[in-house]
Amino acid sequence: MHDHGHPTIGQMANRLGLPAEMESAAPDSDFIPAGLASLGIEADEVDLAVMAAVHGLLWSPLLDLLALDTEDVTPERFPNLSRAPE
Amino acid sequence: MGLRAQAAAIAAGEVDAAELLDATLERIEQRNPALNAVVETFPERSREMLAAAPEGPLRGVPIVIKDEWPLPWRAQRFGAAQLLAPTAPGESGPYRALRDAGAVIVGVGNMHELGAGSTGNVSVYGAARNPWNTERCPGGSSSGPASSVAGRLVAGAVGADGLGSVRFPAAYCGLTGLKPTFGRSAMEGHHMAPVTTLIVSGPLCADAADCRLLGSVLFGEELAAGDAAGLRIGIVRNQVSEDVTPEVGKACEEAIEALSAEAGGTVKEISLPDLEAATLAAILIINSESMGGTRPEQLNQLDPELSPIARGTLKYRMLLPAAATVQATRVRTLTRRRLAALFAEVDVIAWPTIPAPAPPLEAPLVELPSGTQTADQANVRGAALANLTGIPSISMPVGLSGEGLPIALQLQAAWGRDELLLDAAEALERANARRWVEALPPLAAAEPTEA
Repeated sequence: MHDHGHPTIGQMANRLGLPAEMESAAPDSDFIPAGLASLGIEADEVDLAVMAAVHGLLWSPLLDLLALDTEDVTPERFPNLSRAPE
Repeated sequence: MGLRAQAAAIAAGEVDAAELLDATLERIEQRNPALNAVVETFPERSREMLAAAPEGPLRGVPIVIKDEWPLPWRAQRFGAAQLLAPTAPGESGPYRALRDAGAVIVGVGNMHELGAGSTGNVSVYGAARNPWNTERCPGGSSSGPASSVAGRLVAGAVGADGLGSVRFPAAYCGLTGLKPTFGRSAMEGHHMAPVTTLIVSGPLCADAADCRLLGSVLFGEELAAGDAAGLRIGIVRNQVSEDVTPEVGKACEEAIEALSAEAGGTVKEISLPDLEAATLAAILIINSESMGGTRPEQLNQLDPELSPIARGTLKYRMLLPAAATVQATRVRTLTRRRLAALFAEVDVIAWPTIPAPAPPLEAPLVELPSGTQTADQANVRGAALANLTGIPSISMPVGLSGEGLPIALQLQAAWGRDELLLDAAEALERANARRWVEALPPLAAAEPTEA
C-alpha cells in the first residue's frame, strides 16, 4: 500500500514527534481544550462541562457521517433549496 | 374567534377593529402572567398600525410575532441576553408583509434562547408556558407565538423554523403550524442572517384554514385551497415513527388511516435511508452557518446572563470540523435526490411531529421505548429533514394524551406543495370532525371572553 515512496502515517507521526497511534475518537479531554486554545477562546469549568456533554452526543454520529460513502454523490452546483434538485 | 373569523367580521363591519385590539390587549394582560408568551406589547404602536392599516386580508387583526425579527420601534433580542451580531430596530420582511396586509402587531412572542431548543424552557425572559399545562414546555423555539395562540391571546402568530421551531411548539400546544418551502415566506431582516439555507418564517394558528390565510400573507401570494383527493401517503418504518410513546404512535396511525379514508387516498410504506445522517447534516450546517462572521475573541466576552448551555454551545460550534460540514452538504444533495424520487411515488410523507407530548419545564426529558432522552435529542430527528432539503412540512393536532397534552402528526410534501399540505390538514380536520383543532386548553376554556 505504501509503494510510492510516501511515508506511512506512523513514520510521519514519528518525524513530527507525534504518537504513531492517535485516537480517532478525539476524546473531549484533548480535543476541546486544544481546539479552544488554538483559537484563543477561553472557557471556564461550566463551559467545558457543557462542551463535553455536547461533544459526547455529537462526536460519534459525526464520525459516522464522515464514514458515509458519498463518493458517488455529484454535488449540486448553486442548489436552489426552494425546488427539487435538477 | 379564529383568525379568518376575525378578519371576516372586521371586513363585514360586524366587529370594530379598535375594540378588537383593546380586547386583545386586555386578554394578554389577563392571561399572559400565567403563560409568559408575550414579552412586550406596545399599545400605541399597535394603534398606529391600525390607524394606518390598508384594506387587506388581515385588516385590523392582531398578530404576535416572534422575537426573531426587528420591528421599526424595537430590535429583536432572540430570546437572549446577548447577541453576537448587532441589532437595531427596522422593517423586516414579516413586518412588511403583516403591515401591508393590514394586520396589527400586538406583541412580541417569547422564544427559546438563541433559537437553540425545541422546548422553550430557556429564555432571557423566563420560560414561556404551555396553556395545556403551565408546568409543561410549550415547545421551541417559537414558544411564545405558540403559547399565545393556544392560550387564545391572539388567533395567529408568526414563528420561524430552522430545525423544527414552528412545528415543535405547534405540536406541544395543539396548534397547526406550517414550515414553508424554503424561500417562499418573508424572511428579510431575520436575526440569523448568516444562516442562509435552513430557516423560514411560518404561521402558527388553531387550524389549517387560518394557517392558509396567515401563510398567504407571509408568502405574498394566495395559497389557493384545493382538495387532497386521492392523496398518496408515504409512511416510513424507522426511529421517527416507531420510537415514540404508545399514545403518540396510536394517535398518529389512526390519523393517517382517517386522512387516507377522507381523501380516498392510499397509504404506502416507503424507505428513506440515512435519515440519521440527514438529521446530523442539518444540525452541522445550521451550527456552522450560524457562526459565520463570528470572531473567536467575541466568545471571550459573552454576557454572564447567557445560559451556560448557550455559552458552551457557542464555543463548541467553533470547533466543528469543516470536513464534516462539507460532508453534510453532500448528504443534503443525496437526501434531496432521494426525496425527489420518493415524491414521484407519494404526495406526502407522514410521521409523528414529536415522539412524546410536552415534557416538564423543569426537566425536559422524554421516556421512549429506546429509553430516556432529552426532548431536544428526540424531537429533532423527525424535523430536520424538511429544513435540510427545503421541503414544506406541516404539524397538526391529532389527539390528547392521557395527561391531557396534545399529540401531533407531521406531513411533508415536495417543494412548492405547501398548498397540498394545507389541503391535507383540512381533510384530516373533516375526518375527525375538527375535534382536535377546536379543543381548548383549560386556561383558554376557563374564561368565556372569546373576542
